[in-house]
Amino acid sequence: MDPIATAVLGSWTLNWGTLCLLLVIAALYLRGWLHLHAELPHKYTTEKLVSFAGGLFVIVLALDSPVDAFGALLLQAHMIQHLLLIAVAPPLLLLGQPVLPLMRGLPRWIFKDALGPFLGSRELQQVGRAIVHPVVTWLALSSAIVVWHFPRLYELALRSPGWHQAEHACFFWAAMLFWWPVIDVWPSHSVWPRGAMIPYLLLAGMVNMGLSAILSFSSHVLYPSYALAPRLWGISAIEDQAAAGGIMWVPGSIAMLIPAAILGMQALETRRVRPGAVILRRLTPRPPRQWDLLRTPLLGPVLRYRHFRRSIQVAMFLLAAVVAFDGFFGPQVAPMNLAGVLPWTHWRGLAVIALLMAGNLFCMACPFTLPRDLARKFVTPRFRWPNGLRSKWIAAGLLAVYLWAYEAFALWDSPSATAWIIVGYFVAAFAVDTVFKGASFCKYVCPIGQFHFVHSLISPLQVAVREPAVCGSCKTHDCIRGNSRQRGCETQLFQPMKLGNFDCTFCLDCVQACPKHNVGILQATPGKSLFEDHASSGIGRLSRRPDVAALVLILVFGAFLNAAGMTEPVMMWMHRWHARLGSMLPVVTAMYVAGLLIIPVTLAAVCGWISRRVAPQSWKDLTCSFTPALVPVGFAMWLAHFSNHFFAGWSTVIPAVARFFSRSSLINYPAPSWIPSLELCFLDLGLLLTLYATWRVARRLSTGDGRALAAMSPWAVLAGALYLAGVWIVFQPMQMRGMMMH
Amino acid sequence: MKLLLPTLLILAQATAWADGGMVQMRQETGDLIITVFTSPTPLSVGPVDLSLLLQNRNGLDPVLDAIVSLALVHADSNIEFHASPSREQARNKLLYAAPVIFSRPGKWRMSVTVRRKEKEVVAAGTLDVAPSFGRELSLAGFLAFPPVMIVLFVLRERLLRRRSRRGA
Repeated sequence: MDPIATAVLGSWTLNWGTLCLLLVIAALYLRGWLHLHAELPHKYTTEKLVSFAGGLFVIVLALDSPVDAFGALLLQAHMIQHLLLIAVAPPLLLLGQPVLPLMRGLPRWIFKDALGPFLGSRELQQVGRAIVHPVVTWLALSSAIVVWHFPRLYELALRSPGWHQAEHACFFWAAMLFWWPVIDVWPSHSVWPRGAMIPYLLLAGMVNMGLSAILSFSSHVLYPSYALAPRLWGISAIEDQAAAGGIMWVPGSIAMLIPAAILGMQALETRRVRPGAVILRRLTPRPPRQWDLLRTPLLGPVLRYRHFRRSIQVAMFLLAAVVAFDGFFGPQVAPMNLAGVLPWTHWRGLAVIALLMAGNLFCMACPFTLPRDLARKFVTPRFRWPNGLRSKWIAAGLLAVYLWAYEAFALWDSPSATAWIIVGYFVAAFAVDTVFKGASFCKYVCPIGQFHFVHSLISPLQVAVREPAVCGSCKTHDCIRGNSRQRGCETQLFQPMKLGNFDCTFCLDCVQACPKHNVGILQATPGKSLFEDHASSGIGRLSRRPDVAALVLILVFGAFLNAAGMTEPVMMWMHRWHARLGSMLPVVTAMYVAGLLIIPVTLAAVCGWISRRVAPQSWKDLTCSFTPALVPVGFAMWLAHFSNHFFAGWSTVIPAVARFFSRSSLINYPAPSWIPSLELCFLDLGLLLTLYATWRVARRLSTGDGRALAAMSPWAVLAGALYLAGVWIVFQPMQMRGMMMH
Repeated sequence: MKLLLPTLLILAQATAWADGGMVQMRQETGDLIITVFTSPTPLSVGPVDLSLLLQNRNGLDPVLDAIVSLALVHADSNIEFHASPSREQARNKLLYAAPVIFSRPGKWRMSVTVRRKEKEVVAAGTLDVAPSFGRELSLAGFLAFPPVMIVLFVLRERLLRRRSRRGA
């Protein structure tokens, strides 16, 4: 093929944000369509599915194909793009009668809890009816087309990507409105007779024709950007403009005339039945059914395999051994050493992403408990963990010490220190768990475990009972006691009374132990345990656990302190004090004592004290009740921080691995430009979930909305301040510590 | 799943940069016409997509088999960096593109070297780089998202309360 033609046809660039959004919409439509097709096959036909999918494909074609790539050089390419967005994609989407399939495809809680109040509101229904009134829809598209073709606005769109997107969005949504009454999309009720849609279309065609005539017959170039653009294949700017006018005129008019002709023919046929009315009557409520990861076709059998956990633990153990070996004996240059790269850049990033997408997968694959499991084949622990230490105080303290040590001794920059931590972890887990029964190390000591326990409260999956009624008849309680084949839960979580993921290591012992196969990995409402204060097995109520509140405060404030430590202004501040005091240790110590102890405790106590003025509980109870609600905003900061390292530095593993195998490599990919967007996205969602949890806690503790609002206010202000601190951190120049990416 | 949809909705706001954009320089050198574009507009401090279109003087056909290199020197501080625009990095495969980062505002001297069929041509020009308009501005949608969602939530709560009052 001609190289120029190849280059033109190869000018595709997929915009992943848009593509993912369209894929999610397609998945929702498909899910809803499958339900409806099973119930009403003659109404929700395959043609509707194909039409909707075709509409989505045309959007991709308009935004990601060579049509878009050449839009800045050729007006005719730009015109084709607009035609696709106005006259092709919207009618195809609407012919798929998308409202009901999309609603049925949505998760039940979104449809019922989030959208339900809006859909049921009379005022909003009136607004909806007004928006799809034919006069409004006709004016919307006609004015959008006319206004955006004024040279000044068109030029603005050509020069600014943001305005260009606004122009496209305006065309697309105005066209969706325009085609709505033409296609008679359920659930709207057409206020005009169907025949009136024929002049509606013809009048719109005339507006289109008028504009195309101006473009076609103008003697000068209307849009200066195209006059300045280099001319391809000798096509002059004026010829290009005339061709664009022709495209607008002929295909644009055909897009109006064909539906007008179809409507004319329909008017001659018998009156058709509106699909919506029948559908509404025949809709049956969906039985609630929880999605279960263990029942998925491919992954389910793998996860249910008896030795699955042991296999991944062995793999992680070998990896930890290699990392520790390299840390001790490899070069003490962090970016060139596996101990400087894998734990700090990759493992942390993957662990938080796993928490966000699934659950506590790190504890599931934890290598540290493998040696003690082997030792327990020969030695049976004799002691129970002391009653006085059955809390999170030790773990919270160790976590604070770890965060301080990370900064004070620049652990990320010291492969040997990293190796010592790994070895120390193995020794500690072994020592504790060969003396004390159960998973005492995991539950009461391990700081990494606490990080995962707390943050898995907002994970979308949880190990839980499938059918509660089945447990009602169970007498053996194998899930916690174990049996001859399989041990029970080592963190003392009794499945029928377990709520949320707190203290759950995802070890799947209960899944293997249950003789009735009644434990699965089910979908969970993220963050529900943060505001629904029910007593959970092995934990009790979070609102009665000051040790958990302390742990949460350390994790939340630690997230911001840890991330701030890599920003340039904070590093400069630390270096100034270092120069004054002659040592970095007192600077870091003061910073962490203030940031992890004094400031969080003071702020939480003040917030609890303010809440007490409107709620009947003591300030301590209020503090313990509200503090868990801060988990999402703290997790958002960990996620933003660690994902920044992971996505910016994933390729740093290549030179480290190559060096380990005595090969040279300098491959290092540049950091993607979308990382700040992703970080802000995490912070946004974290803030919103924290505010929602705070509101739910306040509603639970107070009577009346006004008092609830007053009770939550100090916590909302605290969450807002943390969010702003996170935004500030995202906008600061970052030191990519230990990644050779300064 | 519950976080997926809002995440995608927010991510979809992210501005996609396209090569092409504003014409910054156009020169006829040797048997080539060299046009340099920058995006986004206006050209300012920060990451910029810099792209070039090479055309034959005769017939204006795009030239696709050249090797292009670019040198940029800040006029005041003499900070210099180099880039190698290529068609692989371009969205429009008739262009040669490279992502570059302008660290300072002011005038940058640009030198474009094109090697093709053992011939080398050089074009030179100047780029006026404005001060940064701030990343904050480009990410404003993300900062506006929480207040919008809070307003919608308040509206939802009001609607629910009104509905429960009607029910009572």
